[in-house]
Amino acid sequence: MTLDDLTRTSGEWLRGTGPESDIVMCSRIRLARNLADFPFTNRASRSEKAGIESQVKSAIDSAGLEVSYFDVNSMSNLDRQFLVERQIISRELAGGEGPRGVAVTPKENISIMVNEEDHLRIQYMLSGFRLHEVWDEINALDDQLEDDIAYAYSSSLGYLTACPTNVGTGIRVGVMLHLPGIVANKQIDKVFRALQKINLAVRGLYGEGSQAFGDFYQISNQQTLGKSEEEIIKMLTDVVPQVLQFERSARQDLITGRRQHLHDQVSRAYGILKTAQTISSEETMLLLSSVRMGINLGLIDDLAISTVNELFIQTQPAFLQKLRGSELGVEERNVARASYLRSRLSNGRPVEDD
Amino acid sequence: MMCERCQEEAVVHLAELVDGRRRERHLCAACARDAGLILPDTPLDLGIDEALQDLIKKHVGELVGELAESFCPDCRLRYMDFRTGGRLGCPHDYQVFGAGLTPMLQRFHGATRHVGKRARSRPGASLRLRLRSQLRQAVAREDYEEAARLRDQIRLKDQHA
Repeated sequence: MTLDDLTRTSGEWLRGTGPESDIVMCSRIRLARNLADFPFTNRASRSEKAGIESQVKSAIDSAGLEVSYFDVNSMSNLDRQFLVERQIISRELAGGEGPRGVAVTPKENISIMVNEEDHLRIQYMLSGFRLHEVWDEINALDDQLEDDIAYAYSSSLGYLTACPTNVGTGIRVGVMLHLPGIVANKQIDKVFRALQKINLAVRGLYGEGSQAFGDFYQISNQQTLGKSEEEIIKMLTDVVPQVLQFERSARQDLITGRRQHLHDQVSRAYGILKTAQTISSEETMLLLSSVRMGINLGLIDDLAISTVNELFIQTQPAFLQKLRGSELGVEERNVARASYLRSRLSNGRPVEDD
Repeated sequence: MMCERCQEEAVVHLAELVDGRRRERHLCAACARDAGLILPDTPLDLGIDEALQDLIKKHVGELVGELAESFCPDCRLRYMDFRTGGRLGCPHDYQVFGAGLTPMLQRFHGATRHVGKRARSRPGASLRLRLRSQLRQAVAREDYEEAARLRDQIRLKDQHA
C-alpha cells in the first residue's frame, strides 16, 4: 500500500456504521508506550531514534500485522499533512524531526506512530459507539507488541511516558461526535462545562487547539493514573449517552418547531455542494454538517452517510492536492474542491480537469 | 514622531503613571539609552528562556530546594528543564524527580498510584538504558574504545532480551 493508494480508499471509521452512528462518528483509543531501554523521544539522539524505529518495526513484523510503514522523516510536507488530515498521524509527529514514522493497516483502523512524544502511540479506531470492542482489539495488539518490546513500566506508576499527564495506563479513550443540534440551540458551551467538570476533555476534530470543525467534537479522558482502563472506558460509556440524548432532543426540537425552515436549510446546503464552482474549506464543512444532519433526520434520502463522512476528510487541502498530483494555491484548491464535490455528489456533470 | 530631546525619529514610546497621572514619553534610541530605558547596544536578545528559568527558579527553587538543581545521571535532564519544557527525558526520571512529580501527579490525576494493566517484567531493560547512556557519554568524550566495548555489551543484551 502506498500513500497514493490511500487517495482511492477511505478509513473504516468513516463508514457510518455501528451503534449510534448518526451522532458518534467513531470510537478511538490510543495507548502511549515507551521502550524501557531508551531515553524518551525528545531526549534521544538521531541514532537512538533510528534504533527505536527499527525495534518497533521488527516488533510489528513479528506480530504479523498487515500494515504499511510510512517513513515520515523522508516524506514531503504535503504527504505529512495528508496523513494528519486522515487522522493517521498527529501534528506533533508531522512537525517532529529525525527518524519517525507510522504503521497503518489498509482499513486505517490501526495506526502505530513511532517516535512521536512517546516512542509508540498505538491508535485503534472503529466507526460508531464501540469502545469495549476497540479496547479488546487494542489490548490484544498491545500484548502482541510486548512480545518483542520491553515497555518502560513501574509497578507503582504504570506505563512511563514522556509527559506525566499520560503516565499510568497511558490511555486516551475518546469518541468523535457530530453535534449540530446542540450547536444550533447554543447549548454547546454548557455541555462542555459539564464535561470538563468531570475531567473529560473536549477538542475539535484535529485534536488539541484545533477549532471545532463541521460541528465535530472529540470527548476523551484526561486523567490516566489511578483508574483502570475499564473504569476510564466506563466513564465515557456512562456520560456519552447523555450527550447523545441531548443532541437527539435538540434535533427533535429543530424538526418539530421549524420543519420547513430546517428542510429548506438542509436542501440549500445540499444544492450548493452539488453545484458550486468554487468553495472554501470552511463553507464546505458548514454545509456538509447540515447535510449530514439532514440525512439522519430523513430530509435527504439519496445520499449515503458514508459519502458525507468521507467528504469531510476528502475536501481538505492536502487530499485535493494529492488527487491533482500538484501543489495548489487557495483559489485553485477552492475550484478543485467544488469540482470534487460535484463529482462525488453526482450532479450529472463530468468533472473537468481544467 | 520626533524624539522629545533631539530631532531624531522616536523609536521608544513609553506611557507611565506618575502620581496617578498618565505621562507619555517619545525618545530616539540614543536618548532612551541615556535615560536608562534600554540597555543593550547589541541586537535585542530578550533572553526569554533564561528570564523564564530564573523566574521559575526563584519561585519553584524555594519550594523544592535541591530538587531544582538535580539532574538525571542517565539522560542528563535537569529538573528545571522538565519544569520549563514539560517533558521528561527518560524512564528513570520518574525515580530521580519523584519528590517533585508526586504532588504534580496528585494535582493532575487525583492519584499517585497506577491501577490497571500491568506490563511484563523485563529486568534487563533498565540495565540497557544505563549502558546506552554510558555509550552516549563515551562518544561525547571521544573514548571510542570504551564506546565500542559498550556497543558490544548492548548488542549482547539485546540478543538475550
